[in-house]
Amino acid sequence: IRAPKAPELPIVERRNWLIHQHYIRKDYETCKVFIKEQLQETNGMCEYAIYVQALILRLEGKIQQSLELFQSCAILNPSSTDNLKQVARSLFLLGKHKAAVEFYHEAARLSEKDWEINHNLGVCCFFIKNFKHAEEHLNTALQINKHHKTFMMLGKVHLLTGDTDKAIDVYKRAVENFPENTELLTTLGLLYLQLGKYQKAFEHLGNALTYDPNNYKAILAAGSMMQTHGDFDVAMNKYRVAACAVPESPPLWNNIGMCFFGKKKYVAAISCLKRAHYLSPFDWKVLYNLGLVHLTMQQYASAFHFLSAAINLNSRMGELYMLLAVALTNLEDGENATRAYEQAVMLDESNPLVNLNFSIFLYNHGDKKAALDQYQEMERKVNLLQDSSSSAEFDPELMDMAQKMRAALQVADNVVWTKPGKDSKSKPNSAAATKTPGAPLGSNQALGQAMSSAVSYNKNIQLPTGTNFTFCRQECEWVKTHSRENVSVKLVQNAHSDLAWKSLP
Amino acid sequence: KPAGSLTGTDHCPAEKHIRKWLDAHYDPVAGLYTFSSCVDLADLSGDGESRLVVGDLGSGLSGMKLKVFQGTALLSESTLLDLPTGLVAFFMDLHEPRIPAVAVASGPCIYVYKNLRPYFKFTLPGLEVNPVEQDVWQQVKEGQIDPLTMKEMLEGIRKKADVPLSVRSLRFLSLETDEMDEFVQLHKQQPIKRQTVITCVGTLKKSTADEDGVSCLVIGTESSNVYVLDPEAFIILSKMSLPAPPTMIDVTGQFDVEFRITVACRNGNIYILRRDSDKPKYSMELSSHPVGLVRVGKNVVVGCTDESLQGFTQKKLWRTTLPAPIITMAAMDLPTRGFQGVLVGLANCEVHLYRDKNLLSNIKTPDVVTSICFGRYGREDGTLIMTTKGGGLMVKILKRTAIFDDRDGTPGPPLAQSVRLNVPKKTKLYVDQTLRERENGVAMHRAFYMDLSRMRLAAAKAYVKALESSLTPMSSSLSEPLKMNAVVQGLGPTFKLTLNMQNTAACRPVMNLAISFLYDENLYRMRTPYLRIPLLVPGLIYPVETLVECTSDKGISDIIKVFVLHEGKGCPLLTAHINMPVSEGLMLN
Repeated sequence: IRAPKAPELPIVERRNWLIHQHYIRKDYETCKVFIKEQLQETNGMCEYAIYVQALILRLEGKIQQSLELFQSCAILNPSSTDNLKQVARSLFLLGKHKAAVEFYHEAARLSEKDWEINHNLGVCCFFIKNFKHAEEHLNTALQINKHHKTFMMLGKVHLLTGDTDKAIDVYKRAVENFPENTELLTTLGLLYLQLGKYQKAFEHLGNALTYDPNNYKAILAAGSMMQTHGDFDVAMNKYRVAACAVPESPPLWNNIGMCFFGKKKYVAAISCLKRAHYLSPFDWKVLYNLGLVHLTMQQYASAFHFLSAAINLNSRMGELYMLLAVALTNLEDGENATRAYEQAVMLDESNPLVNLNFSIFLYNHGDKKAALDQYQEMERKVNLLQDSSSSAEFDPELMDMAQKMRAALQVADNVVWTKPGKDSKSKPNSAAATKTPGAPLGSNQALGQAMSSAVSYNKNIQLPTGTNFTFCRQECEWVKTHSRENVSVKLVQNAHSDLAWKSLP
Repeated sequence: KPAGSLTGTDHCPAEKHIRKWLDAHYDPVAGLYTFSSCVDLADLSGDGESRLVVGDLGSGLSGMKLKVFQGTALLSESTLLDLPTGLVAFFMDLHEPRIPAVAVASGPCIYVYKNLRPYFKFTLPGLEVNPVEQDVWQQVKEGQIDPLTMKEMLEGIRKKADVPLSVRSLRFLSLETDEMDEFVQLHKQQPIKRQTVITCVGTLKKSTADEDGVSCLVIGTESSNVYVLDPEAFIILSKMSLPAPPTMIDVTGQFDVEFRITVACRNGNIYILRRDSDKPKYSMELSSHPVGLVRVGKNVVVGCTDESLQGFTQKKLWRTTLPAPIITMAAMDLPTRGFQGVLVGLANCEVHLYRDKNLLSNIKTPDVVTSICFGRYGREDGTLIMTTKGGGLMVKILKRTAIFDDRDGTPGPPLAQSVRLNVPKKTKLYVDQTLRERENGVAMHRAFYMDLSRMRLAAAKAYVKALESSLTPMSSSLSEPLKMNAVVQGLGPTFKLTLNMQNTAACRPVMNLAISFLYDENLYRMRTPYLRIPLLVPGLIYPVETLVECTSDKGISDIIKVFVLHEGKGCPLLTAHINMPVSEGLMLN
């Protein structure tokens, strides 16, 4: 009697291709059905089905479960690098970087020239702050395959170790290899911007915008540079694009606000800045700009609130105290204004405007000697700035004011002002400068009526002004910071010389 | 005139100004489940009319069929034994009339159909079997070892050997001990086989580049090999190996002259095989898995899972991002008009036509398109055939007047640039208030200061009062640093009052403490209005419990004051005011 004919056993891998086809089409539900079927048919011996099941679990966020499945894959087929790589990747996602490094090393033993292993080793080392090894692994990865992700990571490593030059080199190489990668172009552009190489920064940001006109980061950075040059309309064009893409960006609305300010549309400026403030209530730069615009609008009481809120958030900036002092002067609170000015000159290191405004204030209040001291301090700062960079430009109004002050204080001229560049377009207040030339010196002498309030200035700063702070959005991208700084600082100068001017002959 | 039987209506909403496609046929319930690799167009009867041949996967588990469509109707269907992985129509001989055969790849076999009738079955050669494994089975067959020993030996082979185990051994390893014997008895007589399956299939002209020249079949297998089959004798002409299982294949050239096989593999790389080598000549590493692979002239266009379309020769030429994940891709080749493009089916129910990186046409479809085939159908050269996720079949005909203009390069400023900024207008009231502030700024500021000073004074007073009467929940005294919080549980009339005491000192215990309560005796009754507290070890939380009974039935509540006292001192260390809840128990009565 012959034994019964053995049934044909189905091939274990027979549906692998189908599982793969559904997996890459992101049709995970169908994929799971086939995986289940396949595992039932093979009594769980189909390695690829388990592998894809684990990948799907990981995509669904069940990382621990996926790790276990990958480990069982590695048991089914211990000689596969893919399984080890995926185990390492799951460990990495679970934040177990050291364990991940070990698995990657093991995988590297099985397959030598593997870009993925080296790249991921670099990333793991980066996270456990082993920058030296991270750099080595990433460089090896680059030798195997020039991948833009590896370039990005290597640049980041260099930036974190403080080696900006190397980072720039890396990004430059990356841009050569990927001339159309907007992420790389923007990163390099921003790096140049940080270093003050505006020409190059603009070039790269411009390139990024050519390939992707909706790139939010590039728009903000390029827009802020245009704003600095006074090209408000062009900057606004760019911001409109960004406003469609990211309508709830505080720095964007801040910059738009300052564009309107530059175009002297103050009410629109306030609307935009208030929106920025609503979106990011703890951002002192928005408050600073709001203070500035309200000073310009002669709404000194409101300006005071915005500025003191800004000081609460950032108490290390001389210019903020100076603005507060200007507001207090106009609110006829001479005592607190003096304190604010004192704080401002103490904190500020390089801005001659602070000393000039203080000097004018002191002169207007009859303290000629102290005014002279401040004037000399201002001259010192001006000379220092001119020494450090030959191209230092000063606002023509600042120079004009300084000259008037010198005449009033009757001191010898020992500052040689650099001529302002012909292209300095941003003189929004030059009209005001010629309008009221004959205001009497010390017209604000109503100091006697000044409040004899016991509230001292120092208490003032502890004022929790922002009672409407309902929520906080954490923003930590430096692009934004930069654009704000850039815009606000420049405009401060203009606005300021105007304010100070009103109390001079 | 078969094309006439297709209705020629046109209501494509996407392109109102230039309509390029005619909607010829749409059957949303055709019940087709297939991929682009299992769809082909061929003149199967030699009458000059092209038919549509579809390898239908049925439910994916059963009901696999080979279907042939003519015009809008299903012409024939025949059952397939296993899932079709690929389908190609090709000329296998030089007989007249020139009628192509259809090859369906399925499992380890190629089924060749001629005149829609089964003609030949080719099975891939078995893979090498591990000699040690063979030896083990021989031993068990001869009764030298028992199944348990065999299991151990097979496990050992699986862990170390380069040649993987056969299906039989793998199945054996997954069995329970009591099933082993039966399994061995059933299978031991058969020789051990190790088979692989076909993952993709393509065609390669044998010696001429003619349209109806004889073609070889090119087969990619799960075992990471590529075979070239002779079409007449079905013998393997060439065998090549890859680093990973292939998923998609594209072939160009002639086998006898020079050819190039481009293969997308499951490891996410693309390899190029040439005539002279059995190993890939070039490889291209992609950052994500390829979903579609189409050759246009000498370039290869690859669609990836990261929603990108990339163009390659030997190196990357361009990359463009798509609005949605790619589902399928196919070539659009219109030799009469010298047009070559790539059709991309996307998950957002659109089919895009690209020439290089430029989008030429966008077809909106009612369902997600899962397979695309472009070519001659019936007597119409420019026919686009698509199947959808829901099983629908859609046929569109390219208008003869349709022109694809290359809107190349810089796409101009984005539309958003002309959208007005949404800046809220300020009201008249706001302007009035601004003017008021300008005029009365100083007065406003002073008023603000006055109120601020008053508020500070009031706050300071309250604070001092709290400090004086130890009203804070923390005792700041140096000798007895204590923390207390109170919890009231229950609905009433009896409440449980729990006071959690904690000694916050670093190491010193606190002794001789007591708690007493002050309350309205008309409202509440307390069982123990005076409690002694045990020694408090630093850090631990001591719950002190007592019961409070509400004696009023008027539904009112009051405050109970809790004092933490030190023995022998009149001033309390801590005071807490507990707002008692309204007793619900009495209100119900």
